[in-house]
Amino acid sequence: MAFLRRYLRSGAGMAGLLIIATIALGAIAAPWLAPRDPLAIAGPALLPPFTDARLPLGTDRLGRDMLAGLIHGARASLAVGLAAMVAALAIGSVVGTVAGFAGGLVDEALMRVTDAFQVVPRFLLALAFVSTLGPSIGTVVIAIALGAWTEPARLVRAQVLSLRERDFVAAARVIGMHPAEIAFREILPNALTPALAIAALIVAAAVLIEAALSFLGLGDPNIVTWGTMIAEGRNLLRTAPALSLLPGLALVITVLGIYLVSEGIGDALERRGRTTP
Amino acid sequence: MLLILVLATFLLLELASGDAVDAYLVSSGGGDANLVAQMRQHYGLDQSVLARLWIYLAALAHLDLGWSLAFDRPVGALIAERLPNTLMLMGAALALSFGLGSLLGVAAGARPGSLTDRLLSVGSLALYAIPGFWLGLVLVLFFAVDLRWLPGSGIETIASGKTGLARAADIARHLVLPVAALGFIYLALFLRVMRSAMAEVWRLDFVTFAQAKGLSRRRIVWRHVARNALLPLVTMLGLQAAAMLGGSVVIESVFAIPGFGRLASEAVAGRDGPLLAGIILVSAVMVIAINLAVDLLYAWLDPRIGAGHAS
Amino acid sequence: MAVLTVSRRLLLQGTAALAGLAALGLRAHAAGGGRLVVAADSEPKNLNPAIVASNGVFFVASKVIEPLAEASYTGENGLAPRLALSWEGSSDGLSVTFHLRPGVTWHDGKPFTSADVAFSALQVWKPLQNLGRTIFADLTAVDTPDPLTAVFRFSQPTPIQLIRNALPAVTAVLPRHLYEGTDIATNPANVQLVGTGPYKFAEYKPGQYYRLTRNDAYWDTGKPALEEIVFRVLPDRAGAGAALEADEIQLAAFSAVPLADLARIAKVPGIKVIPEGYEGLTYQLVVEINHRRKELADLKVRQAIAHAIDRTYVVDTIFLGYATASTGPVPKNASEFYTADVETYPFDVARANALLDEAGYARGANGVRFSLKLLPAPYFNETRQFGDYLKQALAAIGIDAQLVNNDAAAHIKAVYTDHAFDLAVAPPVFRGDPAISTTILVKSGLPAGVPFSNQGGFVSAEIDAVIAQAARTVDTGARTQLYKTFQKLVAADLPLINVAEWGFITVARDTVENVASNPRWAVSNWSDTALKG
Repeated sequence: MAFLRRYLRSGAGMAGLLIIATIALGAIAAPWLAPRDPLAIAGPALLPPFTDARLPLGTDRLGRDMLAGLIHGARASLAVGLAAMVAALAIGSVVGTVAGFAGGLVDEALMRVTDAFQVVPRFLLALAFVSTLGPSIGTVVIAIALGAWTEPARLVRAQVLSLRERDFVAAARVIGMHPAEIAFREILPNALTPALAIAALIVAAAVLIEAALSFLGLGDPNIVTWGTMIAEGRNLLRTAPALSLLPGLALVITVLGIYLVSEGIGDALERRGRTTP
Repeated sequence: MLLILVLATFLLLELASGDAVDAYLVSSGGGDANLVAQMRQHYGLDQSVLARLWIYLAALAHLDLGWSLAFDRPVGALIAERLPNTLMLMGAALALSFGLGSLLGVAAGARPGSLTDRLLSVGSLALYAIPGFWLGLVLVLFFAVDLRWLPGSGIETIASGKTGLARAADIARHLVLPVAALGFIYLALFLRVMRSAMAEVWRLDFVTFAQAKGLSRRRIVWRHVARNALLPLVTMLGLQAAAMLGGSVVIESVFAIPGFGRLASEAVAGRDGPLLAGIILVSAVMVIAINLAVDLLYAWLDPRIGAGHAS
Repeated sequence: MAVLTVSRRLLLQGTAALAGLAALGLRAHAAGGGRLVVAADSEPKNLNPAIVASNGVFFVASKVIEPLAEASYTGENGLAPRLALSWEGSSDGLSVTFHLRPGVTWHDGKPFTSADVAFSALQVWKPLQNLGRTIFADLTAVDTPDPLTAVFRFSQPTPIQLIRNALPAVTAVLPRHLYEGTDIATNPANVQLVGTGPYKFAEYKPGQYYRLTRNDAYWDTGKPALEEIVFRVLPDRAGAGAALEADEIQLAAFSAVPLADLARIAKVPGIKVIPEGYEGLTYQLVVEINHRRKELADLKVRQAIAHAIDRTYVVDTIFLGYATASTGPVPKNASEFYTADVETYPFDVARANALLDEAGYARGANGVRFSLKLLPAPYFNETRQFGDYLKQALAAIGIDAQLVNNDAAAHIKAVYTDHAFDLAVAPPVFRGDPAISTTILVKSGLPAGVPFSNQGGFVSAEIDAVIAQAARTVDTGARTQLYKTFQKLVAADLPLINVAEWGFITVARDTVENVASNPRWAVSNWSDTALKG
């Protein structure tokens, strides 16, 4: 794994990886770290942090455990981010590959649709989508993905166009592979690397969009996310600042971590670009 | 392309639960079955979605954006009333993040890897990772409530009777906090682009040449490097315009600014098809226009001109 | 001596400075013109209170357009005269006579007469108003023997008690000369209001504010005290508290400052918290039930749910004490009708579990008896928070509730038209008489699509009969008795579960005087409200 070695040489990348790994570990271990439902009422309402050993970070407006909320929130926030990223990359690479490979009218039509999605502000799209179809974890993920697939689509298409005429594709064609098979088995994997660099950014944006949607009252009430915690705590910014500060801090650190990772990927790609021109 | 957007808007609202009359009934405290039916008829909501779409498109062909169901006013007038506020907010925020971002980017990129560089990079990233509404609230609490330096809500003093420059100054004062909240978020992007663009340019031949010529570091940074790094920055400007338009929805809500973004969320809440379609169309046209302007700017700043000038 | 002179000079200088300061202060106040800036969180598109009887509309419009009578802490039958001085009903319930106030003029200078009342009643309240459509359903004519007398004629006996209780909310009088012969629903005067009230409508800047100015020709001589009232639109709920502290607004009504922030803001110098002034607009926290669900059609299951709710938690934690636990469909502060003699459901998880076992819904392997869809109304922080709580309370008795978080339009479509809910959390308003907006929550036979009504498919011939009988009972004592029976039946049958009832909180700067001077203060005319100099 030459890529991995190059990645590990990037300082920013390492720091980011460390942050994300810690948070991901917490998220994965959530059921063991905080076995109770984080939405359950665990004690008196608005208990300040560090006053009760059983509830180390205190409780929120309804008496729910803040620490459990943070841990489970990591899970939900990262899940929303990752799911939206996967969905966006999936839509983007399918559209990009098809457009790049098919060319002609299909390409033209798909690119017009891509244009249409690209000129609408991402948050506006998400807002309209979620509030009309009802906020649930599913609609939130789709809404974010709908605003994020265009960039990967363009990238993949450009890659496909440049790869299309290369030797190995021509070779595949000669041995009689179906065009679709060539597209998805030979071209796509090659075009995916640059799309990966965008992936981290999509995750970060998704976590932030989810928070902003929660602020406007469009979060899923059946799960805890950092976004909903911040949104609920903002009314009490003066009375109980920890309510929005703690999840806010968690959010900032996570997004920071994701950015550092994307930086690391960028650095690694750049180094490869230089060593193998 | 714009047609696709109109189709998508109508389709989305068709799939939505609840229509404009439902939204109205919430605020009016109810009504009986007859009243509800009358209202649906009045707003043409008893017709099929295709019929409504056709009427809308026919009007659009005459550049008429239709009639808002939620406000009972022409969509065009509503947008014309709200758009300037958002343009001011966005313009000032873009200028702030572009200006300060690229300046700090120069500072960071002048000595890559230095302490300044690291502090600036991480600090700006942290700003980027703060949800906009939260940053806005904290700014309000600190500067409007505790220090009382600046107004924390609204676009201008109510019925102040101010005109001309005094009014402009009043609006500017009201815009300081929202512009800061919106602008600081995007600062990081410009800073990073500037920084990495500068790192790239450092390696180019003409810079090495200039260094060999014995030009001072400061001079090289300002004359050559920064100037060449402007190109990707300008590209970023185009890309971020759409994002900022989206970000203004939340900021306008926090600061009670009667702008385009808030109008959008009101259109969605009111299930107001014509208004939402109008907003999406206008914002699309705006984004396209900004990108066109960026293209022109790009041509004007073409690197060959810069490099040619340097050699 | 020298010392003395110096000190005297200092003293003199000091006094002069003080006087100067005082003058400055006075001038600053006069320059403000006695302008009261108030937070508003919504912008109704139709501001006409005669058509849209809702608190969001009244909040602004009640200062401009007046009803025949307003609620009062001290007046007879809890009323104070406004445009009517007195009223009496005939013993057969077929007519009500109003004696109107003399010397009242509209804001455009035209005189106010009985013709305006007749026009409003027949052309607006009865056919167009959301509440008036039921109350004035049997109104056939309004006689105007002279300019100051209006006699309402009904085709069926209509209780004077109902008309009386409805006066504050449903009888806003419109100027006939501006509406007659026009399309009333789209008349420009629905936004550019013209009334008889203490304030005139000056301007509306969409997205920014409504501005009202003093009516110098107001019939109550010497009033109003303020020069201007500005309703400033603040869409974000966290904004009102900050705006008050920054003195950008002077008053926030309807709990615009979140309850959890009240304890802190009450300690901020210059700010006061006022929980009074909403007794006539009691909101009720109600669990609406879809009786089409097999499990919920079973009374034992409904009783179990009622037992599973800890009303103490709801009142103390969700409402922070600014609420009262409910016993039935009539709130305790409606003393004319309220009875405590009903079935109650104390918090008892064991009893709730036993009831569910009895009903035959045993816990499955995962501890769940059955699953439900729970739709909390999105209008208030508290309805959403109660939804969050109810999910947990139901989990304790083995009912798995899935919360659905719709926006307002989607919520009322889902509950009142599509019936796509199992349980819903609603905040109906008790408006002084059960017949105005309370019995509709229980009675059967309403078509789908009527918001804020019984859309849960509940049918009880017994309750329907009591509601119908009360609607025709003219004798006040007998009618009141029927509503006590109604409360008993509802509490026993649980078509819905009444959890708590609350009034809102006003937060204001110390300088605002005469806040909460009547039980519907926030939606009354504010003619005595003043700013301290």
